[in-house]
Amino acid sequence: MTTKSVRSDVNMFLLQRNSQIHLSASAPFRPNVISSVKLLIDRLKRMPKDSILISYDRDLTTAFLKCNVPGVTRHAAGLFFHEIETRDIPELSILFRKLVFAEGNGFVTSDELAEILNAENRSELAIGGIVNGKTERITLWRGNFEPMTIPFSAFETAGDGTAPDFSRFSIIDCGQTVKLGDYEAAIDAILYEFDPDYRRELSKKRRQEDRSFGAALLRLRKQRGLSRKDFESEVAAKTIARIETGKASPDRIRKSTLEAIGRILDVEPDEIASF
Amino acid sequence: MAFSLSLTVALAKARWKVKIRDKETREPPHVTIIRGTLAWRLNLRTGDYMDADPDPVDVPDELLDLIFEATTWKRICDEWDRMYPDNPVKQLVDEEA
Repeated sequence: MTTKSVRSDVNMFLLQRNSQIHLSASAPFRPNVISSVKLLIDRLKRMPKDSILISYDRDLTTAFLKCNVPGVTRHAAGLFFHEIETRDIPELSILFRKLVFAEGNGFVTSDELAEILNAENRSELAIGGIVNGKTERITLWRGNFEPMTIPFSAFETAGDGTAPDFSRFSIIDCGQTVKLGDYEAAIDAILYEFDPDYRRELSKKRRQEDRSFGAALLRLRKQRGLSRKDFESEVAAKTIARIETGKASPDRIRKSTLEAIGRILDVEPDEIASF
Repeated sequence: MAFSLSLTVALAKARWKVKIRDKETREPPHVTIIRGTLAWRLNLRTGDYMDADPDPVDVPDELLDLIFEATTWKRICDEWDRMYPDNPVKQLVDEEA
């Protein structure tokens, strides 16, 4: 496996007094450790664009908010790995371009956070979240710091009866899985359901990448400008749909069906897969 | 309950995981190989990778040998069927057949 280099566009600042654990986890980014409010105010005034400030220290965050902070550039995203008061959110929103916060087990580990922030697919990974039992929703923070709100109803009971336990929320598998007790949900399944942009991009990408027989047939049919109904004289449109979506594997398709498809598409049946 | 395949110590230490989660995309039945921020999905009907990216070449042969071992493969398929009985691995695939 190839070794990935560290993103050069990340300027990371860690707000913490004494824990070396967080520093070592984020070390690939060579973070600047800020251990006092005075230093934080000074740094905030000249933080480069797209900086990330991560606070592990609630007391420092509170002390910081008590100060007057004139002339802050609001370039940084603020990640608060501790509880923050609801009344502090407006003030933090003024100081930071994006706000991310959670409590308890709401965030990935610092090791995983560093890995996610360095990943090319970080927008498709979760770094944390908050469960709101009153509204029955989970807000997930993605690796690009964008929030996404998911209703409890999206987490259907599995076929074997496993139900989500929303009181035991965590993010595992380096941001790829939402864990709710014994129940696990794939982030890509959540994104596919709740992010139309993700869904469109993924469908486009998969159509281009998919080397299956069904995908090849779909590409060829589109190339010929035909609809599934154009096959109706010889093959049911429903059958074409089943083949294209992978519900009918090539080895189970009758030879006469393949020959008919080939005739309509004007190719030899054994050439279809090459498209 | 999510299915997680037991791996050798070496594979687990290298952070490889093989999973079927309780909520997966509604696509062909598949098992997901996970390492860090990357995931590879294997179609349980065809045994093929479902995505070209990330590069399948990065998945070690040792792990693939384990997954494709007949008993293990059957167990993975059975686990999918247990979790997604409305979308089983084996189904009538061609109405004309």
